[in-house]
Amino acid sequence: MTTQASVAPLDRAPAPETPFFFPSGDRPLYAVHHAPVAGRANAPVVVHCHSLGVEQVTCYRAEVLCARAAAAAGFPVLRYHARGHGDSAGDFADATLARLIEDALAAAREALRRSGATHVIWLGVRFGALVAASALPLGPPAAGLALWEPVQSPRDYFRAQLRGLLYSQVAEGRKPTETVDDLFARLDRDGAVDVHGYYLHRALADSVRDVTLARRLETWNGPTFLAQIEQRRSLAPAHAALAEALAARGAKVETMRVPEEPGWHMVANPAWTSPELVAATAEWLRAVA
Amino acid sequence: MPWRESAADLDRARAERPIVVPSAFGGLVGIYTPAAPDVPSAGLCAVLLTRPRSHRNRMWVEGARRLAAQGFACFRFDYHGTGDSEGPTGPLDPNRPYRDDIVTVLRVLRAQLGGRRFVLCGACFDARTALSAFADEADAIAGLMFMAAPVVELDTLVRVDADRKDWGHLARSLRNPYNWKSLASAGRWRYMATVIGRVARRSLGAAPAGDPPLGAAFVEHFQALLRSRARALFLYGRDDAEYESFRIAERTAFAKLTPEQRARLEVEVWDGTVHGFLEMKRQRETFERALGWIAALHPARAAAPARTIPGDATPSAVAG
Repeated sequence: MTTQASVAPLDRAPAPETPFFFPSGDRPLYAVHHAPVAGRANAPVVVHCHSLGVEQVTCYRAEVLCARAAAAAGFPVLRYHARGHGDSAGDFADATLARLIEDALAAAREALRRSGATHVIWLGVRFGALVAASALPLGPPAAGLALWEPVQSPRDYFRAQLRGLLYSQVAEGRKPTETVDDLFARLDRDGAVDVHGYYLHRALADSVRDVTLARRLETWNGPTFLAQIEQRRSLAPAHAALAEALAARGAKVETMRVPEEPGWHMVANPAWTSPELVAATAEWLRAVA
Repeated sequence: MPWRESAADLDRARAERPIVVPSAFGGLVGIYTPAAPDVPSAGLCAVLLTRPRSHRNRMWVEGARRLAAQGFACFRFDYHGTGDSEGPTGPLDPNRPYRDDIVTVLRVLRAQLGGRRFVLCGACFDARTALSAFADEADAIAGLMFMAAPVVELDTLVRVDADRKDWGHLARSLRNPYNWKSLASAGRWRYMATVIGRVARRSLGAAPAGDPPLGAAFVEHFQALLRSRARALFLYGRDDAEYESFRIAERTAFAKLTPEQRARLEVEVWDGTVHGFLEMKRQRETFERALGWIAALHPARAAAPARTIPGDATPSAVAG
């Protein structure tokens, strides 16, 4: 298990942070480069792959604080907004796994160019874990992979989103008129379903129909950090199976449990963060490189 | 339907640039969208407030690019302690708006980017922060889009909202397993105790205690708005808890407006809710109304645009 370092949230950047735009395909993407505190030679650059839609927003502050902790530990970091997300250009309706991977690879190239690093450590958050795992074998040499509550199966992930939508209707005293399967049928028929003020688009769902995280990582055996963010007393079966499969291939795997259930679809006040998760991720980085 | 990026939107996206605003808490990170050079300038900079700055479903990103294509410069930024900005993170209370942040931003936009007149837009905490800017920068603000914000202290808001509930509402609530689960929280117990107490007192014939006071910060900032020359639109949903508090303002502060002030301040109340932006149809209606209202401040728009008040909703009062 990961040693828990005591790192207070970084209210101030430990070294310069530079927001900028860079191209991916024919669109500008927004990014922030976190310069590292001097002292760690040849450190890989950490590239964050955020989650999807509203989850990019709900996890945002935790990612910022993690990037600052990594920079304080001597690692350059690049966080970017994929197309159709945040301040980048492009339509969310056009986001597919292939296009998200294209953006991740463009971000990795930009990260190497800005930082001078030769290796990348990928950090994938939720759906971003699928993006990072897919980009990893296609991009620059990878020195590690960190996963925050990774999506193992997109189909199950979308099903959970739709179930959450129906649950919230019940919580408001309304009787849902559709089942999850009805909503999936509507997604197929209409091309989009409104989930808490964000559309789930058929193009995206179709692009990951047969994808699983385990299959995307079939050839990976590098250092891996897997943080489960759920109210469970043990690792979820899918997370445990992934960790075991990686370890069986010789990967050094560290896991941690963050016993919290952030409202992935609701922006909390204040925004959700986890000092323990940030500290453990920074500690794992120090151990990797 | 979802937003589809137009050629004009993409053109403005390509023109955007990040700005880091120095503040007492550290750097505040924002995105400046210059007005399109090939259309008449509005001579106004629209500042779109929320956290993180893109807003739910990227509303403020779309809004900034569409307004910029119509001749408005635009700015969206992260408050201290949120998004990309520096500074300590804490719970946001609409009655303690981030006045220093918005005033600092306006002054930097003026000093570095030539912004002289501003339009401010936000909902809830962000609306209250926009309003707070009048205390320092009233002369520079031409318009305020103020959506679904509480105007009393939050504990008062709970009491005010409880006063529109009855035993039937409580019975329905107790049939909902989610509400039982939420009683694990001490705060929820306090809320439920307040609601039950208010409903019981009314049932026993207790006389209404009269209007509770408006929040002190709201009163101060609203007075600054009244002293200004700015136009404002206050937009609520009839079912918003926040609207119950605004009704107090309608009965008190708004009742005392002079004809000149009444002509500048509009109030719209829609059926259903405005607060939250969690349902796409209402989210788009609200967003389009906000953008349309701001766009109508363009000097080239001689006549007011057609109102896009949704469906069967009607304004409870419209002045100006």
